[in-house]
Amino acid sequence: MSKDAASLFWLYNTFVILVFLCGIYLVAVTKNLIKVLIGLELLTKAATLLIIVAGYSTGHIATAQALIINLIVVEVVVIAVAAGVVLSIRKKYGSLNVKNISNLKG
Amino acid sequence: MTTLLILVPLIGLILVNLPFKNARRTTFWYAVMLSLMQAYIVLTSDKIIWEGHFDPIEEYFKFNLKADNLTLVMLLSIGIVAFCALMVAKHMIKDEGDLANFSNLIIIILAGMNGVVMTTDVFTLYIFLEITAVTSFIMIAFFRDKDALEGSFKYIVLSAVATVLLLASIALVFMVSGGTSFEAINRAVHANNENLILTAALALFTAGLLIKGGLVPFHGWLPDAYSSAPAPASVILAGIVTKTTGIYSLIRIVNNVFGFSGSIKNILLFVGIITIFVGALAALGQKDFKRMLAYSSISQVGYIVISLGTGTELGLIGAMFHLFNHSIFKAQLFVNSAAVEKQAGTRDLDKMGGFSKKMPFTGLTSLIACLSTAGIPPLAGFWSKLIIIVALWNSGHPVFAGAAVLASVITLGYFLVLQRKAFFGKLAEGYEQLCEAEFGLILPAIILTLITVAVGLLFPLLSNNTLIPMSHIF
Repeated sequence: MSKDAASLFWLYNTFVILVFLCGIYLVAVTKNLIKVLIGLELLTKAATLLIIVAGYSTGHIATAQALIINLIVVEVVVIAVAAGVVLSIRKKYGSLNVKNISNLKG
Repeated sequence: MTTLLILVPLIGLILVNLPFKNARRTTFWYAVMLSLMQAYIVLTSDKIIWEGHFDPIEEYFKFNLKADNLTLVMLLSIGIVAFCALMVAKHMIKDEGDLANFSNLIIIILAGMNGVVMTTDVFTLYIFLEITAVTSFIMIAFFRDKDALEGSFKYIVLSAVATVLLLASIALVFMVSGGTSFEAINRAVHANNENLILTAALALFTAGLLIKGGLVPFHGWLPDAYSSAPAPASVILAGIVTKTTGIYSLIRIVNNVFGFSGSIKNILLFVGIITIFVGALAALGQKDFKRMLAYSSISQVGYIVISLGTGTELGLIGAMFHLFNHSIFKAQLFVNSAAVEKQAGTRDLDKMGGFSKKMPFTGLTSLIACLSTAGIPPLAGFWSKLIIIVALWNSGHPVFAGAAVLASVITLGYFLVLQRKAFFGKLAEGYEQLCEAEFGLILPAIILTLITVAVGLLFPLLSNNTLIPMSHIF
């Protein structure tokens, strides 16, 4: 790792942790189902960035790119299904608030 | 061979969904054929075909799949449980289009789970885990009931969090080893002893898989998802999906990739014992047939994890054997609950009573599965629990061994409550017209009961021919 790359490495890592914390905060605080999904997306994005940083810092950038393309495809499928479920919840309950959707208890 | 187990379901999936007149009607039978073929191939095949050397297909599709003894056990249980789920689906889902859709989902989940058990790369593992998870989200929410949607959403959120943990772990591992295959990681682990990044990666991966497996601090989604899912979906989810995605992957990652260390053993032992007790005590108080089974499932998974936590060869055999047994008898109990739900129209244990008189086969098979789960000799569950307790004792954890025996008594307790409320005693009012479920719905229960009894009775034979050779992979 060159000196430039090393300083960038910590900058990137700080950014990854910031994105991660934003995602955690959003999922923990919000009462809206759509916002929960956005928070989950943010979390996944943080993980994606971490893979890029890993590839960049070890010089395996091509492998990292291949992994990320696959990751994005898989993630889109997950979020599409999740959005479908949220849509059905909206239709059945008439609300997107987490508080109204608690028939089941752990 | 290994590649075919993924390609044949996927290609067939496209073929049966082509817009021809009767193509979709064949979906169900195609799925049944796939699951039976899988079980048949595993049981009869020579070892050589699993090595992948003489495989012309392997030249074109480099999935780097590998099958050892542990994989074969999982492939066998996947085939059996998928078959039972399909039989239940045939009788629980009346609409022909819905049945075809559900069979499609079973085919996808079959391919996904086959991938999970055969892969040799953490990133491929992640992709197959997601295929399996997404299919189970859809299965749970299949009929779009209020409860099912809520259970499905809980599963989606926790599964997504687990995925993020897995991905972060993959990234950290990639940072150290420069590759994502099991071998590359294993080399890196040996080269950098006690590396901080690798320890963090293992911790993240384990936490992610514990969420997927429904172990206790992260078990909130499991009872909701299991009990609100349609009956055939809960058979396949409880029977095999969480065991494959959570527990099998955990065994693989801890044992073959990162290797055992003192801290991981302690974590697994503690998580295991807490899971056993929380699951068992929560099951005691349940009023819903399927919820009780779900909590019992959590408790039994605790046994598998505690056995893995010993880190010894005997412990791994116990974990694997209990994994197989548990997937068989838990699938069977969910088949029974489907039969009761269909005939009586309720899952509330307080409203049931004396169903054994009217549904003799369901009552008997459910009794045998309950006794096997509680560990009554000579049924299959007794032997696997015995191995687990002996492994705990031998590895210097007598307290955990004692606790495991105690929890087994609680297991017997809640299952006797279930049997007494649902099947024994006086017939509950309003059920005079109750009759036994159709043959198709009893058949999977009978097959699974026969497996439980046969594995239990033939254990001395199995232990020398199958279980001990199995340990050579470790």
